[in-house]
Amino acid sequence: MSAPVNVTVLRRPLLYTTLGVLLLAFTAPLLWAVSGSFKRRGDIFGYPPKLIPSPATLANFRSLLTEQPFGRWFLMSAVVALLATVVSVFVCALAGYGFAKFRFAGKRFLFGVMFSSLSIPFAVILVPLFVILVKTGLGSPWFALIVPWVAPAFGIFMMQQYIVQSVPDEILEAARIDGASEFGIFRRVVLPLLRPSLGALGVWQFLQSYNSFLWPLVLVSDSSQYTLPLGLQTLFRAENRQYDLVLAGSVLAVLPAVLVFVLLRKQLLEGLSTGAVKG
Amino acid sequence: MTSTSLRARPVRVTETAATDGRKRRAPLHPYLFIAPFYVLYVLFMLVPIAVAIWLSLCEWVGLGTPHWVGLRNYQHLLTDASFHRALGNTGIYVLVSLLVIVPAALFVAQAINARGVRARDLWRTAYFVPIVVSPIVVALIFGLIFDQQFGLLNSLLRALFGTGSVDWLGDPTLSKVAISLVMVWRWTGYLTIFFLAGLQNVPRELYEAAAIDGAGRVRTFVTVTLPSLKPVTAFVAVTSFIGAAQIFDEPYLLTGGGPAEATLSVAMFIYRAAFERQQFGYAAAAGVVLFVVVFTLSRIFNRLLGIGRTQ
Repeated sequence: MSAPVNVTVLRRPLLYTTLGVLLLAFTAPLLWAVSGSFKRRGDIFGYPPKLIPSPATLANFRSLLTEQPFGRWFLMSAVVALLATVVSVFVCALAGYGFAKFRFAGKRFLFGVMFSSLSIPFAVILVPLFVILVKTGLGSPWFALIVPWVAPAFGIFMMQQYIVQSVPDEILEAARIDGASEFGIFRRVVLPLLRPSLGALGVWQFLQSYNSFLWPLVLVSDSSQYTLPLGLQTLFRAENRQYDLVLAGSVLAVLPAVLVFVLLRKQLLEGLSTGAVKG
Repeated sequence: MTSTSLRARPVRVTETAATDGRKRRAPLHPYLFIAPFYVLYVLFMLVPIAVAIWLSLCEWVGLGTPHWVGLRNYQHLLTDASFHRALGNTGIYVLVSLLVIVPAALFVAQAINARGVRARDLWRTAYFVPIVVSPIVVALIFGLIFDQQFGLLNSLLRALFGTGSVDWLGDPTLSKVAISLVMVWRWTGYLTIFFLAGLQNVPRELYEAAAIDGAGRVRTFVTVTLPSLKPVTAFVAVTSFIGAAQIFDEPYLLTGGGPAEATLSVAMFIYRAAFERQQFGYAAAAGVVLFVVVFTLSRIFNRLLGIGRTQ
């Protein structure tokens, strides 16, 4: 990261005001939700709106955890997202390594095919994929929420860029001279070197799966297999909108995602932009 | 040394294939590394697209055998006012994302990157948070913010201007504005990350040269910053184009596509046709149209802006 350069669009006080206003704009809705989750139902829409709840109550969280299957929704989402993440990080690293470090016939074409899959809108395959999986009996959430999404072109591109930049050929040559197998080199030499970008891709994949809505909405009909977004939707769509529960549920649902992000944010933010900058 | 053949040298792939005959090892392992991707790609991308094209030529309610109708679904789409509205609205979402969100992200990145700004990491992280939050949660929170009677936004308007009972989600024009605002909120910080990385990669010398030439802020921006950001801008533009072209969550959750289809998107149109009315063939046809439009336009973008080359 180079030092910031001598170019300023705004003067200092104006600059900080702008950054501050933006900060408020980007975080206020979430802060308001957090505050609302501690309010009694009647107070959520109190006028004027209060940021600090008084009286503050944990009742929303309590009834969410005891009267609603919140724990089950969360578990479903978390397990699905973790499985999808582990498999997809591995598949992307494999393919990224293949493209970054080998010459082979048809590479240019195959890379182009992979890259162009970025511009296939999901809405196109929504209907046929649903039909195929249901008709072949593979429509179980444990398969269909995970497997079709474990090889995103974006992830492969990100891995390829990272490997080109940070895995020197000499190490691979040395391992080959030592007689290591090609897969052995990948597993024992390359994968450890990729750790930072595997983390970045992993966080990204986790968030994608954990937050996905349309596909589970279409696929999961059995309410005992609802993921978090589907569960929250039932609270939202209920006869008398349970705003208090909805807000508490939202806060609890977002918590793990934000936690994972905050812990690994450096890697994620840098990893995401590697491909774009050099692309 | 045979090992040199495994190295990625800047030699055309086709040439090596021709001269490789005398070498012992016809390397299979490169293909094994990329094979898992292509297996998944064929099964969950190519096959579905083929099925989509076939289904789009059929009438099918999801039970029994699909009934071949040729191009009739496409003919219906040509005259379906709902589909036209969905296309128009999606076009608006795409324009908002290209003409509002992308420039806003560039502006925010410039502000964070300005000389002497402290706590750069804090700003960057905070602005990114919206994209981490699940779309359903975003929709829930903004649904409450936009509420006509109790919403936070109208409360603020009342406090500031004395009046405020704007029907954000119930008015055909304002509901589009509301959806667009949510898109801006969700995507700006995400795209900022890419511009920020791009800005940090602009060679300092270019700015110094511009300063020596006596270039002002605007001219430095136009002659140095923008050209250096071309690859990033290309990436960001294509990504947000594809993202906006298939927008579903926001209109589905916030407005249900209403009022009177004023916020209906193409993805929502497809969802409704297939899963609310069981018109699977018709939904597939709409999907194929979306695919052709998005794929063609993004190929053109790629060609014009030159992204996606191997190295």
